[in-house]
Amino acid sequence: MAIKADGLADVGKTGYLSLVFRGFRYYRGFLSHQLDLLWHLVKRDFTLRYKGSVLGILWSLLLPLAQLLVLVFLFQRVIPLGIDAYPAFVFTALLPWTWFSSCLNSAGSLFLSNRDLIKKPGFSPCILVGVNTLSNLLLFLVVLPVLVIMIVAFYDKPLTPYFLLLPLLLVVNVVLIWGLSLFVATLNVFYRDIQYIVSVFVMLLFYLTPVFYSPGVITEGYRFLYNLNPVAVLIQSYRAVIFFGRAPEWGAIFIASVLSLLSCVVGYVFYRKKLHEIVDYI
Amino acid sequence: MSKVLILESVSKSFSVQRNRPLTIRELLVQSLLGRESKKHTVWALRDISFSVRQGQVLGIIGHNGAGKSTLLRLISGVSYPTRGHIKRFGRIGSLLELGTGFHPDMTGRENLLTAGILNGLTSRQAKMLEEEIVEFSELGEFIDQPVRTYSSGMYLRLAFSVAIHFDPDILVVDEVLAVGDLRFQQKCLERFRAFKNAGKTLVFTSHSIDQVKNLCDEVVVLEEGRMVMIGDPQSAIDCYNELMRERTERQKARVFGKVEEQAVLAGKQGKRLGTHEAVITDVCFYDTRGRAISGLGSGEGLTVELKYRIVNPVGDLALILGIYDEGNTKCFETHIPSFREAFGSLGKQGSIFCSIPELPLLPGRYYLNLGLYPPDWDYVYDYHWQMHGIDVVGKRLPHASGIVSLNPVWSVCNGNEDVAGR
Repeated sequence: MAIKADGLADVGKTGYLSLVFRGFRYYRGFLSHQLDLLWHLVKRDFTLRYKGSVLGILWSLLLPLAQLLVLVFLFQRVIPLGIDAYPAFVFTALLPWTWFSSCLNSAGSLFLSNRDLIKKPGFSPCILVGVNTLSNLLLFLVVLPVLVIMIVAFYDKPLTPYFLLLPLLLVVNVVLIWGLSLFVATLNVFYRDIQYIVSVFVMLLFYLTPVFYSPGVITEGYRFLYNLNPVAVLIQSYRAVIFFGRAPEWGAIFIASVLSLLSCVVGYVFYRKKLHEIVDYI
Repeated sequence: MSKVLILESVSKSFSVQRNRPLTIRELLVQSLLGRESKKHTVWALRDISFSVRQGQVLGIIGHNGAGKSTLLRLISGVSYPTRGHIKRFGRIGSLLELGTGFHPDMTGRENLLTAGILNGLTSRQAKMLEEEIVEFSELGEFIDQPVRTYSSGMYLRLAFSVAIHFDPDILVVDEVLAVGDLRFQQKCLERFRAFKNAGKTLVFTSHSIDQVKNLCDEVVVLEEGRMVMIGDPQSAIDCYNELMRERTERQKARVFGKVEEQAVLAGKQGKRLGTHEAVITDVCFYDTRGRAISGLGSGEGLTVELKYRIVNPVGDLALILGIYDEGNTKCFETHIPSFREAFGSLGKQGSIFCSIPELPLLPGRYYLNLGLYPPDWDYVYDYHWQMHGIDVVGKRLPHASGIVSLNPVWSVCNGNEDVAGR
């Protein structure tokens, strides 16, 4: 509001050129403020998450590590899958999966648990979805060096230039998570069952996504379905650029990007439509 | 001066199905059976239009549930109108319901930084204001404690300090000042005045008629979601009282079928108002030795006996006792918000005594205005206005006026040598 009032209040008196200039200034100011806000809220999210716990941020490391241990035990000792460097193979996929799943699992209660922010004038709730996505991404990035060291030092697999494609994958993944989370967060305000449905869905998706197995074992006929699962495609691509050090499948990535954008657009349109009601229901 | 806030036929509706959102199962059942949910829409606000000029203080008064808080939420932009438009020019700060706005697990300091950034400051600017806010809020070391440990007074102090320091152009305040202690309230009111003098705009609701009278330039009266009037404070307060009377009449008609004049306490002058679900049957005055009196000396003690009878079963009562002079100036008023809380169960009839050990009033005629209300003060059971007069007698102090009888002792220190010495 404030910025609008400063920047675009008396349009009538000024020429178009200065209007464009003002518009630019307005958006630059607006953007830098939104980024500032985003950053502050991410920090706040971290503070809240680990308030009062002794191990703090270590918990975020322990969870995927524990999961890793179980998976490694299961599929190397109990039912051997015969995959080379299996711990690193799983871990490469487990980290982005943890990011995705913890975002979606917390998306449902996102608006409800941040009443204090939503009830502030001029606050757009969709920022919370961004905060949630980013703070889980940060955890991913914190653990990433551990993974890289593991791959390079223990399994003697060199990093290749394809590793530089990682930011691209992250961007696609952010778009996907943001769109889905926004949709879930909005819908859950009106139908509180959604968060439980989502957690069931996420659990099932874990088995349908090649996290602990290689998609190579899937029969040809189902391959095509895998390409329609953007999470599976992204996970395979992370594995390609980090673990195997080779190019990802560009066609699949393209489809995944389109689907991610679509989820983003659908999520945002739905959110915009419901925005005015959200506050009244919370 | 320019208008900073314009409301154009603003309406707000809530769809009330139940007190909770639909679950998927209910939604499925409804859509499969083709049954429309019994959605009925409640209009919390209907067709409100007014504007506020820069530097104005606008008060909003109305009974419980008249739509005051909804209106303030719309004005501050937390919620959106169903119909109509709200235009604001400038930055809005708001102090709405207590209990929202701060995260309970974060410390006061962390919360105020978040609030600052949400108010459009950069984190650096917010940090610069931090110390000033902490000082104004008088929270001391509590500022580094989680907000959930705060008392409502502390919460208010923090919320108010935050709201006023981030320099809004329009400040919207819901009746939250009631929980602060008197001194802090005073500090807030002073701050409001300074705020107004700086050319800023204030919109607030209050139950305190005095606050409305003293602060506001213009007052909006709401009744059941509609704007009844907008005007100067005095006429708005009159209008509000009139609405209260009408509401009481309606309730009386509802309870007793037809409005009937009850001839209790006939012969006394003054006015009586109420639904008579609970009535004051008699009022007696006694002196300190328990003798019935109709007048007393200035500075002597007074006991008031109020005999009541419950006509229609009511759960609880609020009770008010005020002493007014002949010009209807309030000398003193006290109330009991809940009879049950104060005295336990409520009998069918009985007497309530109020002893005032000393009544240091200047000689003259005074009236005891007594009232019985429902605990939410929504309308009146029975109110006696200027029906029970009492004469305070005594030697009139020469050259004195006012209400309270004090005993001034004058002296002078005419020390010439003192002055010369300084």
